Amino acid sequence: MTTSPTGACAPLLQLDRISRRRAGRAAVQELSLSLQPGQVLGLLGVNGAGKSTTLSMIAGALRPDSGSIRLGGIDTREQPELTRTLLGWLPERAPLWAELTVAEHLAAHARLRGLNGAAQRNACTAAIERLELQPLARRLAGVLSQGQRQRLGLACALVHRPALLVLDEPANALDPVQAVALRGLIREQAAAGTAVILSTHLLAEVTAVCDRVAILHDGCLRHDGPVQADDHQALERTFFEIAMHGDAAARAA
Amino acid sequence: MSGAVAGTFAVARLEWRRMVVRPLAWVLAALTLAWLAWNFTLLLGGFLAGQVQRAALPDGPGFTDLVAVPLLGQLAQLSFLVVPLLGMTAIAGERRNGTLPLLFAAGLPASRIVLGKYLALLLWLLSWLALTLAMPLALAHATDLDWGKLAAATLGLALMLAALAALGVACSAFASHPAIAAAAALIIALALWSVNVGAQMAGINGGVLNWLAMSTHEQPLLRGLVSTADIAWFALLIAVLLALASRRLDTERERG
Repeated sequence: MTTSPTGACAPLLQLDRISRRRAGRAAVQELSLSLQPGQVLGLLGVNGAGKSTTLSMIAGALRPDSGSIRLGGIDTREQPELTRTLLGWLPERAPLWAELTVAEHLAAHARLRGLNGAAQRNACTAAIERLELQPLARRLAGVLSQGQRQRLGLACALVHRPALLVLDEPANALDPVQAVALRGLIREQAAAGTAVILSTHLLAEVTAVCDRVAILHDGCLRHDGPVQADDHQALERTFFEIAMHGDAAARAA
Repeated sequence: MSGAVAGTFAVARLEWRRMVVRPLAWVLAALTLAWLAWNFTLLLGGFLAGQVQRAALPDGPGFTDLVAVPLLGQLAQLSFLVVPLLGMTAIAGERRNGTLPLLFAAGLPASRIVLGKYLALLLWLLSWLALTLAMPLALAHATDLDWGKLAAATLGLALMLAALAALGVACSAFASHPAIAAAAALIIALALWSVNVGAQMAGINGGVLNWLAMSTHEQPLLRGLVSTADIAWFALLIAVLLALASRRLDTERERG
């Protein structure tokens, strides 16, 4: 955790007016956000709102056209290797190498994130145990069910114990039991000081685990505020107003 | 080991693992080595049959000229097909699979991703060359090998495989589909080999076209003539192709 000279916590992640065009349209426009260690931010928005583009930029898979992304106070454009150790990313639909086993996936991700030798083996064992992947460890990723793929993707994102976890629709294809386990995992990570960004279409997911919610619409941030666990209806109202009426709702908020 | 170097090896190890668990690499190795072994026995049979006549010649061709180097020549011919097939998925396969962003997100420069992929492919090709070379070397104790000529031919083959691997990775970086990458690598490799054929048929044995042709730089090495200019040509070609592949990946990360 980084602390400013005044004693206040410095943000772990800071997005400063990032913009990105994709397929000829502005996918993300002038987006500014910050995230403290241990905070869980829910990212909401209708399809095409710019959530996945934003997360890809934070994860370092895509570069912003303008603006800056700071991790631990350092611009990731100047030090792209920062994302290597500090950040874990589960992209939408958890892309995997079909020909590798579950254990090989974790080992490959751990090595790509800078772990080697005993540290890598220990990290893989811990991730396998935490996501309860022991029975699948020797199974090829290509034959896993969608829910199992999602759990493996989560394990890969967590394997190097990142300071920031970026999850793009992690509850996709998970059964209700696994979805509850996912909530427990996110809370556990936050309690350990890991900041989490959770992109989802499930408003209940946000009220259950997030401290804050940001709502994107047409690539712009329309709402950014705290979440109350018993405030599901208020969140639903805000979300639908923004989704239906866009700018007008944003002004009202 | 610095982060970037460790990252390169992590990519190389991942690519190597993916290559050895796929049937394609094993099928290609089995078929080509069986073909080369069959041809080795034919070349050896021919060599033994003509041994009495050649004994009368004071400086007649030996085992290296009649068996070892022609065998390496056959490997060179096969490599035009094998390398594009093996290299096609290096980057185009990742792109199609949706796993390329995972490598970008590891914070590695595009050049390191390309280099990692290239090293894994090169390792497979050099193992293939070593297994082929083991056939004539197995008879080294019973024949009179021209070690210098064999070393030059091996160097030539290694350089050619390295250049074709770089071409395969570059085509894979530019193509949207692995099959397109393989076809492009095959056509470009054949064009690069024979770009000077027209000039030679017209009786022109110098100039830019001859310099551009891979055959101009490969054939002297197979004959045992090592020249710095030929080695530099291969090094330059590899560097240009890998730089192009890196540039393409960088643009992809930039533009999405």
